Amino acid sequence: MIEVSTTLQKDNFTLNAEFTVPGRGVTVIFGPSGCGKTSLLRAIAGLEPRACGNIKVNNKLWQSAQFSLPTHKRRLGYVFQTPSLFPHLSVQANLLFGARKSNTGTPDFNQAVELLGLESLLQRPGAELSGGEQQRVAIGRALLCSPDLLLLDEPLSALDMGSKAKLIPFLESALQALEIPALYVTHSPDEVARLADNLLLMDQGRVRGFGPVADVLSRLDSPLAVTEEAFTVLRGQVGNQKLAGLTTITSQAGHAIHIPLNPREAGSEVRIKIQARDVSLCLERPEKTSILNILPATVENLSEVTSAGNRTVKLDLAGEKLLARVSDYSCQQLQLRPGQALFAQIKSAALVY
Amino acid sequence: MFQPSDLQAIFVTLKLASYTTVILILLGTPLAWWLCNTRSRIKPAIEAMIALPLVLPPTVLGFYLLISLSPGGFIGRGLGQLGIPGLAFSFSGLVLGSVIYSMPFVVQPLQNAFQAMGRRPLETAATLGAGPVDRFFRVVIPMSKMGYLSAAVLGFAHTLGEFGVVLMIGGNIPGQTQVLSIAIYDHVEALEYGQAHLLSASLLCLSFLVLLVVYASNRRSPAMTLQ
Repeated sequence: MIEVSTTLQKDNFTLNAEFTVPGRGVTVIFGPSGCGKTSLLRAIAGLEPRACGNIKVNNKLWQSAQFSLPTHKRRLGYVFQTPSLFPHLSVQANLLFGARKSNTGTPDFNQAVELLGLESLLQRPGAELSGGEQQRVAIGRALLCSPDLLLLDEPLSALDMGSKAKLIPFLESALQALEIPALYVTHSPDEVARLADNLLLMDQGRVRGFGPVADVLSRLDSPLAVTEEAFTVLRGQVGNQKLAGLTTITSQAGHAIHIPLNPREAGSEVRIKIQARDVSLCLERPEKTSILNILPATVENLSEVTSAGNRTVKLDLAGEKLLARVSDYSCQQLQLRPGQALFAQIKSAALVY
Repeated sequence: MFQPSDLQAIFVTLKLASYTTVILILLGTPLAWWLCNTRSRIKPAIEAMIALPLVLPPTVLGFYLLISLSPGGFIGRGLGQLGIPGLAFSFSGLVLGSVIYSMPFVVQPLQNAFQAMGRRPLETAATLGAGPVDRFFRVVIPMSKMGYLSAAVLGFAHTLGEFGVVLMIGGNIPGQTQVLSIAIYDHVEALEYGQAHLLSASLLCLSFLVLLVVYASNRRSPAMTLQ
């Protein structure tokens, strides 16, 4: 378990964050650029000398009012935003730079090399690798320190689209194999949908929401839910049934959701990202429509009217939550109110993994 | 070929340049590191002091050193109280003078190398469990390799060519304080042009070779350029 309560005063902004992360899983720290995500991560790593507060990792005190453990004594792994291999060392020497005997929960050298596909790179100098390869090595290097906590600061943001797409599967398998908690900073909704177990929303140096990813995303009082970018994530399994040109996913609550044809094997666990603006509402089940995904739902709550004249409607689908973005005018026309039964039309759903 | 006194002068010169380089690397490393990381208000003053030998006539430096090193001088008196004989007209005095005289040639390349490296490699090493000493030997030194090569070669080569400071504080004692540049001067004064040629050409070739080494290795790693 990781308990963080930290404050950091910088020239034009104050970071003030307090939260507790469970002992496993990926907690994504999400927020706009400049909201203090990176500063928070650096403060936890002890790289911000002016940060103060309390940090406790697995009952080990890293920082308190009177005391601050120097970075090199904190058992952590850190992946920086830009690749930061030591240029004078080979990939293998980079990997082994901080290697400690593996405790349970992190891979050993051979496992890390296999997990991240590094066999063919081992003897090359760190400086000669592409950005994506360097980041893969940096992730492996951080894991081999056998950390109690893994910190990743936008590890994909400095990469081009192609390298990003290649790195994500490696990142995913590395994070899934972990039995230690990871904090992952990003401003990309796709990475949230794909990687997060828990979500911590940040804005202007403060924590605006924290909890399991599906809960936080669907909370109407979170700053994200009332923006154009609001989205929810459903988990499900790829089904056997293949309609012409479509793949069917069965969500945890048993809803069938059709998505464009996807090569994933039947039975694989997947996540689907659904944007609130792609969900519309009907009081009766629409017939003869081009929209494939029409699910019965109950209105749970409505947000205030936004400056753009919209409301975000939180829907309950037999336990799963979905957000819909609807104009205030339509809300009045349909006389939407909590408890109302209706149908949600999902115009498009994207499989994120 | 070389006369015995010339060989002695060559030996004294090489010894002086070696001692000076080693001392300057040891002294210049923490100094350059401090200059690179400090936010102290006295930093510009320290930097200006280190750079003084670049603009000052060596005789000025030599003159003040001579005065302060003499038994009645500021440094000489303190040393005398510690039971150390005066440094003026001694090899140790020459080393002290050369260290001051060649300091900018060592400190500046090191400072540039540390600056070019930036803080990120150190932060990375710290997150990988490396303490300060470990970080210095496993990251700073290998990553500043070219800076150290430049610093050592420039410090050495610059000391080889020293004349004014040596003349002022070292005098011209064969086998002790007579260095190459002074031996050449003596030969010219005595109209022994052949001997002067031999020594001058040797110094010229040596200096060229030493600088060639620096620039050739700079070409291989363009990131670290000689200032």
